[in-house]
Amino acid sequence: MRAGWSLVAAMALAAGGALAQGEPIRIGAMYPLTGGGAIYGVPAMAGHQLAIEEINAKGGVLGRKLESVERDDKMNPSAASATMKELITKDNVHIVLGGLSSAVGLGMSEVAKQEKMVYIATVPKTIQMTSDKLHKHVFRIASNTDLEGDTLAELVSKYKVKNICHLQLDYAYGHDLEAGFLKALPKYAPGSKVVLTLKPKLGATDFNAFIPQVMSAGCDGVVSGLWGPHFVSWVQQAKPLGFFDKIKWISGGEIASHEVAVSLKDEYPDNVISNTYELWYHSQDPMHKTFQAALAKKLGTQETPQWSMLGYNGVLFAAAAIEKAKSLDPDKIAEALEGLTVHTPVGPLTIDAKTHQSNTGQFWGPMVKQPGKDYRVMSPVEFIQPKL
Amino acid sequence: MSGRVSLAVGIGILTLLALLPLAGSRYAIDLATQVLIYCLFALSLNVLIGYAGNVSFGHAAYFAIGGYACAILLTTYNWTLALALPAAVVLSGVMAAVIGYFCVRLTQIYFAMLTLAFAMLVWGVAFKWREVTGGDDGLTGIKVPTLLGNATSYYYFTLVMVASGVALLWLICHSAFGLMLVAVRENAVRAGFVGVETRRLRWVAFIVAGTFAGLAGALFGMYHRGMYIENAFWTESAQVLIMVLLGGMYSFFGPLIGATVLYLLQVATNQFTQYWPTVLGLILLVILMFLPDGLAGLAARFRRAGGRN
Repeated sequence: MRAGWSLVAAMALAAGGALAQGEPIRIGAMYPLTGGGAIYGVPAMAGHQLAIEEINAKGGVLGRKLESVERDDKMNPSAASATMKELITKDNVHIVLGGLSSAVGLGMSEVAKQEKMVYIATVPKTIQMTSDKLHKHVFRIASNTDLEGDTLAELVSKYKVKNICHLQLDYAYGHDLEAGFLKALPKYAPGSKVVLTLKPKLGATDFNAFIPQVMSAGCDGVVSGLWGPHFVSWVQQAKPLGFFDKIKWISGGEIASHEVAVSLKDEYPDNVISNTYELWYHSQDPMHKTFQAALAKKLGTQETPQWSMLGYNGVLFAAAAIEKAKSLDPDKIAEALEGLTVHTPVGPLTIDAKTHQSNTGQFWGPMVKQPGKDYRVMSPVEFIQPKL
Repeated sequence: MSGRVSLAVGIGILTLLALLPLAGSRYAIDLATQVLIYCLFALSLNVLIGYAGNVSFGHAAYFAIGGYACAILLTTYNWTLALALPAAVVLSGVMAAVIGYFCVRLTQIYFAMLTLAFAMLVWGVAFKWREVTGGDDGLTGIKVPTLLGNATSYYYFTLVMVASGVALLWLICHSAFGLMLVAVRENAVRAGFVGVETRRLRWVAFIVAGTFAGLAGALFGMYHRGMYIENAFWTESAQVLIMVLLGGMYSFFGPLIGATVLYLLQVATNQFTQYWPTVLGLILLVILMFLPDGLAGLAARFRRAGGRN
């Protein structure tokens, strides 16, 4: 035991020491790199690394290089809290980025609050983080469940869905998105009503009990938060029954992303309107072309995943805030982030000074067949950006 | 180790731990706090495994009950720590009594499976009872008294709690009760014949284990200012079981060594690679193949070999 402690003390001393001018600025990044979350976390980390490389190639920030300190958050909030504390007390990072699940995001936000360290949530969407659990040092550049619910309600009105079947996964994200949607529904579509609410379990693969209920409920549209593999399973089980011939599927959870389109290919149904943060084949800002080309080179594939941009944007915001604060003091960085506008691959984004939420938009639209392509593409693409 | 030697070693380690904050490393303090909590957690499990000979696959349940109870009483009901902590520990004991009442009716693998089933039930309650536990968002923002607000004071608080817990468990394990548990472990039928009420004895061991796990859980929740459903998941039960196996279940202090080594290894590994589960698998393989009595057993074998020369 004693040998262990002296080892620990030696490591801590080696990592410590006063911060000299010209030393790199350390950016902590935590994403799930193993387990079920890795398919989102690994691309997000790749985007994070890309931004660090690009900024360093241009000379860094305040004349200093950026150094990325990367850790697996394991999708486990206690482990992530301990790891984040380690980044702060041992690796002396100046800012922490990342997270994916709501619980990990909230856990990291709690550490940020205790340690007075700036944390920018790049993927977690839980509304709590920027509402009742908001504090000085937490910021979010992901979308959130209120914004997503708001857009879902807007689309219900746009596609004139009168009777809604509401499908949400029975866990934090599903509950929050349900609340966000129900809050916004009377505002956009006072004539529409929810006729059926179903809550499959997180990780469910068998929807045979739910599909007939939805088909016999008399709804002309589904509002859903079934993301990734849940949507894929639903389609595989429901499409042969002609489910999508009659029912419009309006969904959050980024099932319009290229990753989902590719995993379903020809099986991807008609009548789906959904969202994605980024589309490799659609540039609305000149910056996207260079970003996408660099990412494609890094990942070795032309068809890049949407999650990378969130990791990328996290670094852009961190760098811009440090540049603006001209300091590494967490309080000054936090103040600099309030109201900060940064040019990203989807155009300029601004963090609201009061809610600490950025006006991150998403691409929304129907997924359609296009000649010569074996996967569906979003067309027409509409970029819906919240007004904060 | 004779009682007097282990007492001296114990006091020595305690003194070193008490002096640790003087080293001035905040990181070491944080790490030591976590290690101490895991030490108590692993030690509590060993009352069941090492002494009573019952392998529990669901020990995280009582850790989580203690952690959630303390967190909820402090945060939702604004109790003072002096009331919330004992209440949480007592509740863990009561829950262990209820669950243990059923579990000790079975032995061997059936006992293990039932503990696992009850632990997943506790996980399910934490997940579903969102109004109280926060569901899978977790319960964050736990109100810890300002006196314990900084890392050093919380470290000392943990040290006192864990040291008292270890001392109490030592007394329990070395009492007549502890010896009877060993008798049940070695041969339950024969122990029964000489008049030991084996089932009741195993039940009491179950309650003792659950109570101290609850204390560890309460300390853990306050340290992280958050309790999460993952803390009740079977993977946590497995981790603490591996700590006990690594340290050595037939030694009182074995689990303390196991918890310390395993947690520090995990922390060190994470800094270089995300493949901790692979490392953990290899560790488990080595224990099962070559170190059936853990690190403590290895040390004892070395001592015996040295004595012969």
